[in-house]
Amino acid sequence: MIQFKALLTKELKEAFRDRRALMMALMMAVMAPVMIFTMSKVMINEIIETPEVYVKINGAEFAPKLIKHLKDENILSFTQVPDDEKVMWDERDVKLTIPKTFNQDMLDGKSIELILNTDYSDKAMISPISRIKDKIRAYAQSIGYKRLLVRGIDVRLLQPIKIIEQNTAMPNSNAMIISMMLGLYLLMAAFMSGLPVAIDSSAGERERNVLEMLLCQPVSTVKIVLAKLTSASLIAVLGVILTLTLTSFAVSFIDLTKIGASFSLDGYTISALLLLLIPICFFASALQLFVAFQSKNFKEAQSMVSMIIFIPAMVPFVTMMMDDRPKWLDWLPVSGQSLIMEDLFKGLPVSWNLLFFTGAVTLTMTIVLVLAMAKKLQSEKVVLALS
Amino acid sequence: MIEVNNLRKTFSGDKKGKKNRVIALDGLSFTANDGEITGILGPNGAGKTTCLRSLYGLLKADSGYASIDGINVVKNPLLARKELGIFPDKFGLYERLTAYEQIDYFASLHGLQGAAKHQAIETVIRDLEMTELAHRKTAGFSQGQRMKVTLAQALVHQPKNFVLDEPTRGLDVMSTRVLRNYLARFREKGHCILFSSHVMQEVAALCDRVIIVANGKLAAQGTPAELCALAGESHLEEAFVKIIGSDEGVAA
Repeated sequence: MIQFKALLTKELKEAFRDRRALMMALMMAVMAPVMIFTMSKVMINEIIETPEVYVKINGAEFAPKLIKHLKDENILSFTQVPDDEKVMWDERDVKLTIPKTFNQDMLDGKSIELILNTDYSDKAMISPISRIKDKIRAYAQSIGYKRLLVRGIDVRLLQPIKIIEQNTAMPNSNAMIISMMLGLYLLMAAFMSGLPVAIDSSAGERERNVLEMLLCQPVSTVKIVLAKLTSASLIAVLGVILTLTLTSFAVSFIDLTKIGASFSLDGYTISALLLLLIPICFFASALQLFVAFQSKNFKEAQSMVSMIIFIPAMVPFVTMMMDDRPKWLDWLPVSGQSLIMEDLFKGLPVSWNLLFFTGAVTLTMTIVLVLAMAKKLQSEKVVLALS
Repeated sequence: MIEVNNLRKTFSGDKKGKKNRVIALDGLSFTANDGEITGILGPNGAGKTTCLRSLYGLLKADSGYASIDGINVVKNPLLARKELGIFPDKFGLYERLTAYEQIDYFASLHGLQGAAKHQAIETVIRDLEMTELAHRKTAGFSQGQRMKVTLAQALVHQPKNFVLDEPTRGLDVMSTRVLRNYLARFREKGHCILFSSHVMQEVAALCDRVIIVANGKLAAQGTPAELCALAGESHLEEAFVKIIGSDEGVAA
């Protein structure tokens, strides 16, 4: 116990005196809330407001009433575009062509063909285009209804079946992207914050010839590995806690209810998140230490360990894309946690059994890694980096 | 007491072939007794460091064994290392810690605590004349200052056996004398001291017994005077060159 205490104190002292490593942990924590804050601001703007859409209207003079109707909905003619947005809207190139015969055809009761010409695959244009289409359709419909009414026909005849849409998505689901970002960031924080410390205390110490000294002392390698793991994971846990606190602080400034989200980081959510993420911190640090000990030198360790960052970055996306998730994804480290986080942010009830189970699996894998490392450190190849 | 018995160690150069195999130790045996300073002499690449590394259990010998006070190093490394103070071939310092903290760290690893630990650290710092260095961070220490810190952390728990791999390289005359007196004092107390060196005068002046290693084998052993007599030379250096065979001395 004296030994473990000495080992741990030394690791922590070194970690906290390493400004660079601490900066890294802090950076993740500060970046997350800023990102979430700006993202949500942008999203809220997009969803709530109906920003101006500029359309190159060909033959506007033939249908002044339609143009006025569109204008009421903030769909304007390209001639009115302000200079600073001119290039952008010119590139987007939305063209609406109104035929010369518009008025006459309207009087004759003929079908009129308007042509809407633009790049439909442009993501930024999806919402404006549907807005234009909806407005024109509504305009046409209102005229059609009037015609029927004049002829004494009940408009409801046109709707033998009416769909009543009931959206069962919880209010929180609308804030999906923000919550997904936050989940991703928390996982990244768990993986990134402890990383410099993990590399420094393994590959770094070997390169500085201090590891050899330590291994000549009467200390079991399990204790050495555990001390290094504990110090790296503690920094990671600190990073996660900081990220969470700062984010909940930042989110409190935005009115997320505007986009129909009752997304909140209350005490319950935060404690569930911490329960999820602390095992991940240990697992991530163990994985990083393992890879770093395996590498020949500091440089190799750095590039190899950086690859591990792909795990938290990719796994949530992959699980999100998958329609039929195999059951074992719920149990594995990282994927299990990210799925539970998804539910948590959606406002669905959290399965505590699953939470503890995946946590247990994560910790078990961590222990296996620790034992493997302790065994490795007894081998001369790893100690002297001969492999 | 340190005993090395018929140690063999081969390093395979690459994974497949036996072409690049290096035989580092080829059945080396010797004993270093309590109350004596034993010096290991040998040309570069003779296997001195490999032998010492096997002594602290960092390397595993292919055959043969090493024991510290009768404890087999391979079977019981933790117990054996408790009886050892090690000054290794390659050493580094924790540059973000002060000298005092480092010595404290190693003292704790050897199970010292409380007032006893504090006492031990103060003693070793005083003995090695490094009081002024004690509370500075070790980043930027000179070679000699680094050696002192490493020595202090190796000796703080007053081990029964010292193993020092070229402890005087890079030390100035004053520090060398401090170290020499220090080792001599421990010899008086009955400790067993084993050290490797390249400095003949030092070995001649300090060692009770000298072991000459060449090609991973024991080439000769005895007091400096005996070795000189054996080779028929008046100086230890001449005797050393003659015993190992001058060719290897040059080639290595």
